[in-house]
Amino acid sequence: MKDQLSALIDGEFDINSAEHLIASVKTGGELKQCWMHYHLIGDVMRGESHMRQDFSARLMIDLENEPIIFRPNASANITSNEGASIGAPSRLSFLQTQYAKNSKVWSVAASVAAVMFVGVMVLQFNQSEELAPMEIAQSVPMEYLQAHQAAAPNGTAYYIQNASFSEQQPK
Amino acid sequence: MKPAVSALFLSFTLFLSFISSASYAADDAWLLLQKSAYAARELNYQGVFVYQNGKQTSSVQITHMNNAGQEMTRNVVLDNSAHTNTQSNQPREVFSQGSDIVIMRQQNQKMVIEKRRGQNLFPAMLPTDLRAIKFSYNAQLGAKEYIAGREAQIIDLVPNDAFRYGYKIWADTEYGLLLKMTLVDNKNQTLEQIAFNQLSTLNSQDVNWFQPKIDVKKNYVMEDKTAVNHVDSDWIVAELPAGYVKVDHRALAVPGKTAPVDQMIFSDGIGSVSLFIEPLIKGVRPKMGHMSIGSTNICARVLDGYQITVVGEVPSLPCLQIAKAVSFRKQAALNK
Repeated sequence: MKDQLSALIDGEFDINSAEHLIASVKTGGELKQCWMHYHLIGDVMRGESHMRQDFSARLMIDLENEPIIFRPNASANITSNEGASIGAPSRLSFLQTQYAKNSKVWSVAASVAAVMFVGVMVLQFNQSEELAPMEIAQSVPMEYLQAHQAAAPNGTAYYIQNASFSEQQPK
Repeated sequence: MKPAVSALFLSFTLFLSFISSASYAADDAWLLLQKSAYAARELNYQGVFVYQNGKQTSSVQITHMNNAGQEMTRNVVLDNSAHTNTQSNQPREVFSQGSDIVIMRQQNQKMVIEKRRGQNLFPAMLPTDLRAIKFSYNAQLGAKEYIAGREAQIIDLVPNDAFRYGYKIWADTEYGLLLKMTLVDNKNQTLEQIAFNQLSTLNSQDVNWFQPKIDVKKNYVMEDKTAVNHVDSDWIVAELPAGYVKVDHRALAVPGKTAPVDQMIFSDGIGSVSLFIEPLIKGVRPKMGHMSIGSTNICARVLDGYQITVVGEVPSLPCLQIAKAVSFRKQAALNK
């Protein structure tokens, strides 16, 4: 429902089938909060900022006042353990270290692969888009004119367009 | 207290009567339009009308009969300035019975028989249900004029916004039959016109006229079925121009195209516009931009590898808005 609400705000939802969304926003509660948040996010992203002038100053003060939580560094812990103990625990910690090193290597490899993948995609996309778009006026889509007139509830243009189109049909 | 209340009531009643006298003329115009919508379907008549759009003109002979509730119409296209092909001397014929329409037209050396679903053909241009039109237009009574020897009352359908053209309708003062209709833009320039220049009532109950002129030397073929009606797809138009509703959605097989083309039809009761969506084909240049031919506006754009084309006898504004408001699948995926 939140996704639908988001789509509605983005103009990507059929307004005729959105009654349930409007109704639940009206009743308040979580969806109303979402409605307000999404609009705020949208406003900020469009640069229509409604924030107060001293926003960054107040944010800095709030950050200052945040309690600082110290968390022991996991990888530092492992290296310090390496030389200190012997036996099974040390093997375990050695494996952990290796894993930590490997995972770094793997993450770099994954990043490279991802960049390559995106690059190839973009390249392919560009290749399929290599033809520059042309102005519609340069080639009138007669087949669409005819299809529109054949299906339109009112057939005013009926008698003429159909004749000119039938001449253009392939033999 | 009580006198105050009654005074208030009195002033309210006066106000109401003032309102109703002001809207009296508009009511009359709507009543005449309603009468006109029924007259075209219920009366028996024959005549010749001329259709003009830009440089193109065409004369059509019409015979219409309501045979115990069943409508029968035969239209014969007498001439056609757009028809330069000298081979086709056979006039095109359009038959309709109830809501079925059959068109017989020449294509190269053969006659093609094409079937269509119901359409509001001249002079039955107005739907019998006028509610949609009332939502988007104001009706005003104008002057009286003579059309095809009949006295006609002019009714102006003035659009409420820039999403539609205006319509001028000449209705027979006696029978209500629509004698002439023009399409006007916001500068009051006529873009399209259709009008009787000969009209008489059909007195006999004979139905021998309701048959095509068959040329035995020609080959008659049924046209391939090119469209599947009422399909569902993941394309949506989130924000339609005010007053427009989707009236149909079909998958169209267009000659020379591999994938079917999605076609949605939107109408405000009298004006209509089609939206076409098809995947871009490799090696074919995508189209974009906007153009107009007479009353017809066409706009095109590209969206996520799809060609979007909007075509309609409507101003450019609703065309552009529909082209802009198309989006793919998001809603359908979310509804699952």
